[in-house]
Amino acid sequence: MLDMAEHDLSDGEDDSALLTLVETIEELSATRTIDEVAAVVRSSARRISGADGVAFVLRDNDCCWYLDEDAIGPLWKGKRFPLTACISGWSMLNRQTVVIPDIYQDDRIPHDAYRPTFVKSLVMTPVRTRDPIAALGAYWAKEHTPPPEIVAKLQVMARATAAALESGRLHASLNKELERRTFLMRELDHRVKNTLASVQSIASQTLRTAASPQAFNESFESRLLALSQAHELLTKQAWGKAHLREILAAAMRPFGGLEDGRFVVEGPPIEITPEAAVAVHMTLHELIVNAAKYGALSVPTGSVSVAWRIEDAGGLHPTFALEWRERGGPPVAPPEPKDEGFGSRLIRRGLSRDLGGAAVLDFAPEGLTFTFRAPLSQRLAAA
Amino acid sequence: MSGRRIMIVEDEALVAMMVEDLLTDLGCEVSGSFGAVGEALAYLDDGKSSLDGAVLDINIGGEMVFPVAEALRAKGVPFVFATGYGALPRKGFEDVTVLSKPINFGHLRDAVHGFGQAA
Repeated sequence: MLDMAEHDLSDGEDDSALLTLVETIEELSATRTIDEVAAVVRSSARRISGADGVAFVLRDNDCCWYLDEDAIGPLWKGKRFPLTACISGWSMLNRQTVVIPDIYQDDRIPHDAYRPTFVKSLVMTPVRTRDPIAALGAYWAKEHTPPPEIVAKLQVMARATAAALESGRLHASLNKELERRTFLMRELDHRVKNTLASVQSIASQTLRTAASPQAFNESFESRLLALSQAHELLTKQAWGKAHLREILAAAMRPFGGLEDGRFVVEGPPIEITPEAAVAVHMTLHELIVNAAKYGALSVPTGSVSVAWRIEDAGGLHPTFALEWRERGGPPVAPPEPKDEGFGSRLIRRGLSRDLGGAAVLDFAPEGLTFTFRAPLSQRLAAA
Repeated sequence: MSGRRIMIVEDEALVAMMVEDLLTDLGCEVSGSFGAVGEALAYLDDGKSSLDGAVLDINIGGEMVFPVAEALRAKGVPFVFATGYGALPRKGFEDVTVLSKPINFGHLRDAVHGFGQAA
């Protein structure tokens, strides 16, 4: 009976210690930050180990950082020591738990740092054994060998702490990813609405000058396709800068592409921001359509040369200068101002508005010439 | 609404051209159509402009249009925002009308009408 009673009592103690350990693990699993982890460790580690003091030590590059403690007397809270000069560092570097019954008999202990404290014996166990990021220390005011079950409990706690720190890290990265997604969705919404506004603009302006529903349909569809190509090109660059030559090639594609022998392109690499690239693309599209309908590309003998350069490169006012010159086409006559449609309006104003330059359309009888000059800027730069 | 002088700040030429057309259809005069915040500010600083209102896109090539809005407010010129952003922080401008893109002609007409009443 007596034996049974004693047995029951010790079982009860075990149960209560086990419950504390389980509760601590649950608390650790609910933590999100290192401070929260430290608070749980501080409040529970001593109760679980029955030690006179506990410390939670973080690895901070080549140092041990005594982040927090709960002890009968002050330890080293807030202090940093080189990894090689303290037992928590030894434990982390060697990735193993260390049990020291008498610290003054052990060379790994920096005795001077311990003399002002109550500590005579200790257990130190690393947090995350494969690559320690912290350590958990338990200290006693008497020389003794801490029993294996106490060491085991501390190790269980260290493992739960490692899991908590990992999950905190996961949680932080998940939050960051969610924020990024929200940002991207908002950007997408913005771009879609702006693009719809561009389509609205193309539709209403094409309608203003269209002679018939068929003419509207033809021009509108061609412009919509050009806008679509402009977007495809921007998406390929991950909405980064686009090269002028690539824009030209994409705009030219429905008309035989740059390989068409009637097209001569020459100029240094030029980069254009996404905002301005759409206007550049649409402007080139209008020039090409005009050339194919009425200009040099409407006859087999005609040709178009597109040449650009940077003037005063390296000087105070470097300027981008582009010339579109058509030759060999039918005789050109300037359009009546009342006939000025979306195309010529965009050609005259679109680029100069978006890139801060000046555009000139010259309807000389021998062929149309379009010249554009703009200062180099953040929007338009040498690549 | 005839003869009202309206300024436009909008970084996309295509959209700006349409807003210009719509305002012209309403009988307004487009007094400055700018694709950059700096250009619009320079125009306002010039002091020669006499505006009856303004239509401002909010994100101008990555730059926020708010300095222009502040300059207009200081001059007592009424304005509206036109933006593709569903909900954009507009601290200090919560009471300003927002036209969403694509732009509804009726909403723009109402906004221009409102400029007249404010002036």
